[in-house]
Formats: sequence, structure tokens, C-alpha cells
Amino acid sequence: QMAIDVLHPGKATVPKTEISEKLVKMYKTTADVIFVFGFRTHFGGGKTTGLGMIYNSLDYAKKNEPKHRLAKHGLYEREHTSSKQRKEDRNRMKKVRGTARKIIHNP
Amino acid sequence: MLDSDLPNAVTLLKNLQEQVMTVTAQVQALTKKVQAGAYPTEKGLSFLEVKDQLLLMYLMDLSHLILDKASGGSLKGHAAVLRLVEIRTVLEKLRPLDQKLKYQIDKLVKTAVTGSLSENDPLRFKPHPSNMMSKLSSEDEEEDEVEDGHSEASGKKSVKGVSKKYVPPRLVPVHYDETEAEREKKRLERAKKRALSSSVIRELKEQYSDAPEEIRDARHPHVTRQSQEDQHRINYEESMMVRLSVSKREKGRRKRANAMSSQLHSLTHFSDISALTGGTAHLDEDQNPIKKRKKIPKKGRKNKGMRSEQLTERERREDTKEEARHCQDPEEEGWRALAVLPGPQPVFC
Repeated sequence: QMAIDVLHPGKATVPKTEISEKLVKMYKTTADVIFVFGFRTHFGGGKTTGLGMIYNSLDYAKKNEPKHRLAKHGLYEREHTSSKQRKEDRNRMKKVRGTARKIIHNP
Repeated sequence: MLDSDLPNAVTLLKNLQEQVMTVTAQVQALTKKVQAGAYPTEKGLSFLEVKDQLLLMYLMDLSHLILDKASGGSLKGHAAVLRLVEIRTVLEKLRPLDQKLKYQIDKLVKTAVTGSLSENDPLRFKPHPSNMMSKLSSEDEEEDEVEDGHSEASGKKSVKGVSKKYVPPRLVPVHYDETEAEREKKRLERAKKRALSSSVIRELKEQYSDAPEEIRDARHPHVTRQSQEDQHRINYEESMMVRLSVSKREKGRRKRANAMSSQLHSLTHFSDISALTGGTAHLDEDQNPIKKRKKIPKKGRKNKGMRSEQLTERERREDTKEEARHCQDPEEEGWRALAVLPGPQPVFC
């Protein structure tokens, strides 16, 4: 894990894909175990500071990275039910006892 | 005089003769042993060999000199003297080396004599890294490691015990003894320090000092509270590898601090050096004007019967203003409600 300082005088903030490419070249790993985040450009432009992590293997990465970062790499899919729906279902379940619960949970 | 010395001289000479006999006997025995090869020195320290040879040569030259002197010759310009001087200088130069090697030679000798290391030998106290790892807890290695081939060192990095209970640190509370006067003094000292490094004083220093003018791209001498907090935040983010969110208040503070420093504010508004000149400060650390605290008199004063008569006219008027603002309880009996508000009825809020 590292703190990354990017110097880009005259240009806009460098996108994360380019930065991970550069890291691939520097550390000779693959791009799928590199995770960079939190880039903030200093006032006046020209310098950006961010954080980055490189894992030894994809398994370690899947275990240790937070889900939103994995989702950005396409390794994780979060469920798209709204929380309101879920809460309504749960409250309906609470009213019934026994096997009828299963039916309500999976209609 | 010579007569009294004669018997002493004779006895001395006899002693000398005896000693010379014993010495020659010993030397002859030694030479026989050396020639027989009883002292092999090939595997020894070459430094000590050199020293041996030099000492022997020294002795030989000395004895040569003594021989010459005893047979009546003069020592002036003798070749042996020069040789002696040379050997002496070399021996002197060898002495510090000898000092440095002394410890090792002594240890070697002791080991050779006893056959093993002594009890107090520091070499026996080697570090045992296997003792440092806790054998009770299970190892839970960190997965996300530093790259560049440091993966072998992963065992050292975080040996966390899975079943360890968190014990909070025992901190001893210290009595808070600072009085208002001490706090004032501390504030004054800090203001003085800040004033000393302000632009006014710096320019005065440059004007009157003889040192050459330095143009430096230095960091701001005033570490304001905001810049310190920023630095603290950056350090935390980089060490914990997270990005902290900034609240609206923080954003406003930061904007204000940046605006202060980036405007031409610093050209016209000089920093406060009242700490050095005496007098009260108009601006505090963050360039905010210091507000004077207004004394808001308490409502309960009117209930103190005896004291109420000692209130001055002004205070009575102030109190009534306060009362007129707040809700008035018409049932409250106070001399003020009757005396000062005679005309109109008391107002219901």
C-alpha cells in the first residue's frame, strides 16, 4: 500500500486507469490486483495526491478490499433491491409464523 | 668517598655476575627449545610475530652498545644507536594497535587455556529471534502486503492473536491545577512568540542587522491552527489508507483560512504585535476580532430582598430592559414590577 503523488503540470487530473497502467509498469504486476482511490488535486493544479494498494493475488484482493472498490473493477455485484422493499417484506414476514414466512420471503 | 663506595661496588659486581650466569643459562635453554621447534608460530597472529622480532632486534642492538661502552668506546654516532631509534619508533606505532587487539588476544588465550567460553562472555548472550514470536497466539498474517519482493517478511509484520482480549491502557489522571492567571500568562507568551516572527519585526531585523539578505522560499512561519489540523489530517489519511470526509464547517474554515492568505490582506493588514508593545490584542490567532463578553445580569437578582436596594439606577434600568424582552409573569411580585412599570399593564407574552 502506498501514497501516490502525481505531477501533471498543465494537464487536468490524470484518470485512475492511466495511473494504474503506470503502476503496472513500475511494479511489474497485472492490472487487476491494483486498486487506487482518493485522488485530490492540490490548489492551483499540477499535483495530485492519492492512495493505492497492490495485492499479491486476486484472492487476497477479493478478501480484503471493500465492496465498492471491487464493484468498480467489476468483481462484485451488489443487489439492486431497494431498502424500502426489503423492510416492507421483513415486516410482513414478522406478522406470520412458520412455513408461511418462506412464501412471503420468496413470492 | 671512594673508600666507602668500594665494598658496595664489589658486592654489586658479585650480584651482577650471579645474575648474568642465571640469565645466560635461561637464554641457552630457550634457544635450544626454539631450535627444537617447541614454539610453532605459523598459525599465530602475524602482528605478534612482528613484535617478537622487533623486540629481539632491539635487545641485540642494546647489548652491542653495552659491549662497546664497557670496553671503553664512545657511543657518539654509533650505528647501533640509529637502528635502536628506528626500532623504537616502530614499536611506539605498534602500541595503539596492540591496545585494540588486546581484548581479542586475551579472549583467545583464555579460550586456549580453559577450552571453552567463560561465563560472563558477552558472546553467550546472542539474540534468539525465535523467542520473540509469541508461541501462544495463532498467526494471522496480513494479506495485502508490500510488493517488491517483501513478501517473505510478512511473518514479522502483523502477528495478531485471534483470541486476545483488548485491555485498555491504564492512565493515571493528573490534577488540573492551572489557574486563570497561568492561562493568561501562557497566552501572552504564545502571542509574544508569534509577534516576534511577524512581518513587521522581521523587516526591522533585516534593516538593522549586518547579515546579508536571504531570499528563501520558506514555509509560512505562522503555523496556524488550520494548517496544523490539515497536516494532522494528511498524516492520518496516509497512514490509515483511508480518505476522511470533510464536513461543511471544516470546508468553511478552510476556505476562510485560504482566503486570508491568498488575498492582498497580508499587504495592508499587519499582524498583531501588541504582545510586545503592551496593550490588549485586537485580533486572535486566526485573525478573528476578539469580542468582548457582555455581562448579562441574572434574573434571580430581584429575589434577594436586602441587596436589591443597593442596585444602581443603571442596573435597574438594564434589568427592566431584559424583563421587557422576555415573557413576564404577571403574578410575580417584585418591587420592580410595581415601581418601574407604573402606567401600562404588564404585558402578556
